[in-house]
Amino acid sequence: MNLLAIEPLPVKTGQLANGMKVIVEEDRDIPNVAMYLFYKIGSRNEVPGKTGLAHFFEHMMFNGAKKYGPKMFDIVMEKNGGRNNAYTSEDLTVYTNFIPSTALDVTFDLEADRIRDLAIDPKMVESERGVVYSERRLSVDGNNMGTLNEQLRAAAFTAHPYQWSVIGWPSDIESWTMDDLRAHFKMGYAPNNCTLVVVGAASFDQVMGLAKKYLEPIPAQPPPPAVRTKEPEQKGERRVKIEKAAQLPLLMMGYHVGDSRDPDYPALTVIDALLTEGKSARLTNRMVDKEQVALQVRADNPMKLDPALFLFLVQPRSGVAPEKAEAVLYEELEKLKTTPVPARELDKARNLILAAFYQQLKTIAGKANLLGQYEIYFGGYEKLFGFDQRIAAVTAADVQRVAAKYFREQNRTVATLVPVKGEGK
Amino acid sequence: MRMIVLILLISISLAGQIRMPAYQRVSLDNGAAVFVMPKKDLPLVSLRVSLRGGAEADPAGMNGVGSVAIEMLTRGTEKRSREKLAEDLDQLGIRVQTAMSNQTASIELEFLSKDTAQVFALLEEILLQPKFDDGELKQLISEKVDAVKVAKDQPQMVLLEYLSSFYFGKEHPYGRAMNGDELSLPKLTRAAVAEHWKRNFVGKNLVVVVAGDVDSKAAELQLRGLFGKVASGTAYVPKNVAAPKTGAARLLLVDSAGATQTYFAIGQPGIERVNPDRTKLELVNTLFGGRFTSMLNDALRVDSGLTYGANSILQIDRLPGTISILTFTKTESTEAAIDLALKQLEKLQSQGIDAGQLASAKAYVKGEYPTRALETINQLSGMLTNFEIFGLNRGEVDDLISRIDAATLEQVNQTARNYYKTSGLVFVLIGDAAKIRKTAEKYAKDIRVVKINEPGF
Repeated sequence: MNLLAIEPLPVKTGQLANGMKVIVEEDRDIPNVAMYLFYKIGSRNEVPGKTGLAHFFEHMMFNGAKKYGPKMFDIVMEKNGGRNNAYTSEDLTVYTNFIPSTALDVTFDLEADRIRDLAIDPKMVESERGVVYSERRLSVDGNNMGTLNEQLRAAAFTAHPYQWSVIGWPSDIESWTMDDLRAHFKMGYAPNNCTLVVVGAASFDQVMGLAKKYLEPIPAQPPPPAVRTKEPEQKGERRVKIEKAAQLPLLMMGYHVGDSRDPDYPALTVIDALLTEGKSARLTNRMVDKEQVALQVRADNPMKLDPALFLFLVQPRSGVAPEKAEAVLYEELEKLKTTPVPARELDKARNLILAAFYQQLKTIAGKANLLGQYEIYFGGYEKLFGFDQRIAAVTAADVQRVAAKYFREQNRTVATLVPVKGEGK
Repeated sequence: MRMIVLILLISISLAGQIRMPAYQRVSLDNGAAVFVMPKKDLPLVSLRVSLRGGAEADPAGMNGVGSVAIEMLTRGTEKRSREKLAEDLDQLGIRVQTAMSNQTASIELEFLSKDTAQVFALLEEILLQPKFDDGELKQLISEKVDAVKVAKDQPQMVLLEYLSSFYFGKEHPYGRAMNGDELSLPKLTRAAVAEHWKRNFVGKNLVVVVAGDVDSKAAELQLRGLFGKVASGTAYVPKNVAAPKTGAARLLLVDSAGATQTYFAIGQPGIERVNPDRTKLELVNTLFGGRFTSMLNDALRVDSGLTYGANSILQIDRLPGTISILTFTKTESTEAAIDLALKQLEKLQSQGIDAGQLASAKAYVKGEYPTRALETINQLSGMLTNFEIFGLNRGEVDDLISRIDAATLEQVNQTARNYYKTSGLVFVLIGDAAKIRKTAEKYAKDIRVVKINEPGF
């Protein structure tokens, strides 16, 4: 089958004297702009006792700088018709602004102010600590998937910082100090550690002009120290069990794989699609539709700077023991190793991957995110346009080889959430 | 003076750019309304088929029947098993989504434009020859029941469901879970689902939109070819249902034993979709709880650190909906957070908003509108469907700026006073009842307690 080739987007790039890379795509479909700043610092740059600091810092970046004091970042942005958000991952802290093009100038001013002159007010730190604790209760403690995911990682990684969750351990949330925050700012927030992506109703010259005016005067700093620890090879299955009030159990599995520049990455993307993408994927077909052992099965081949975990998430049906769902999943992984995938099925997986890819190109925000991710995870935004070819190059033999290499019992960690009756009375 | 001129220029330039892209509307002989909107920046097409009525058309006691019927469409046709259909859809990378609202049941297919002819052939089979296989139906129903249980394991997922049920009551269509619940779903039979589909899938109920990388003429022919075959039938007639009576405060406490956080909602009467106060109410709600710097988020998150987020949302449907405050906090600070939320209502009532706030809200609503409503083919096809369902036209988008600009400070403050009341409120708390029951009693005399794992909402 003939795959539709991806048309390159009209992207232009520049570099500021302080080392910041600027990536611009002019798209005037709507009169808005998505402005993304990718700082290459995340929870992998933390150490025990200070886990969650990168994410907490993301919150503190909205709490006042020199020119725009507490609350002013949001007040000024919103009164100019813009809104913002941010996210922190194991690898990155990303600041996202969604603004009408008329607010571009003031948004550059806001961003420059906080990178150059962030004020860390002790009062704001205490109130923000409560906010982050509430976020942890929402996304981890009170969320079965969040709880299980945290424990799975803690067991799968014994040495590398991917072992703790981005939000951080409760005791660390309670303990971050002003010095921790100042040191983190110094370590991660330099223009040379940032990639700026602007997509929307703005020209390259306009964006570069503003970047030079507002961001170029900010001096470069040494980048964060390299993350030295490498996760040693796992030499036997690890199992984690969580007992928690719930109506239904949950099951997660993680297999150690490489980072996103690993040559096996595209084959793992294809495997992900073969197993769980669309309505007819192998695991969905067998576990959800035919044998009815699961309500939902998902896989995730994550983009990561360091060797990561390929994840499976299974929501068993009520009355089905998680072990039963687990056994079926292993049978399907074995099939990937022993029997070549038919050509038509491989085509189907590629088409589903491509369709999902196009979904991300529909919005200026989606494009800004994708351009930044490719720049950081795959060694250049332009790799985006060869995505279809890398997926097309994956053969049935690659799928077999890669499945055999990673989906081994010795290389997996299994986490199960077992429902217990409500705590208390 | 320079500032004033600049502001004028900005609003003129935005007004010129916030416009509904060109589209065509055609009425077929059987009553179906068909829209075509070419948008060629990506090789993607969205084809959305909606039936008037939506969850409102579910008979009492059978809530979820419309959602089951629309979901059954992808579970097999007279010619293709579910497995074969799934494979054929996936082979072309077609994304299929079904959705329920109170006004529509819809199925949307999104696909690469090169496959348009094949998609029309597949869709024709899906819509005109659905199988409604009994085994598949039983499986879907048991999956949906499990999905409700999974949702109840995450309280924030079901807070609004409990609020709607408690606020409107079971006699009102908005008080019944639109996707069904553990009580209603098991009662649905094949005959009931097939009959519901047959009665509602008729020309007079159909709204079809094709948006994306299509040629107008060719798309119109394809749409006429397929949807012209549907019998005209009898149009769904919306029923007038009285809004719930207001009076003393009421409270529903949903017990989630062991929960470390309390999730709560505070609801009160809102408006219907075509209410002339709508733009003004959206401006007020933006300031009260519709954005990061809103009164609620500022008080409960930024100033006090009680929560990760607090907001208020407007339910705007055919019949008057609700205005609801939604947030959560750790169990120990439940009372402090509810008090602080109520204090914001009092503050809005007593102090109103000032000219600076109104100007900011106006700029915000204008600024974010294109990304919220006009950017993707899915947003645009949803917008066109709403035009048809609510009797609106392109003025809904094209005149947005002038409607916003026309709202005066006095009008907006009157709107705030009319709608954001401090009494007769309807509360829903999900949390550890053993620990928050006493707190709950402070807010209402009329209290109902249920356990979260009890079937239904």
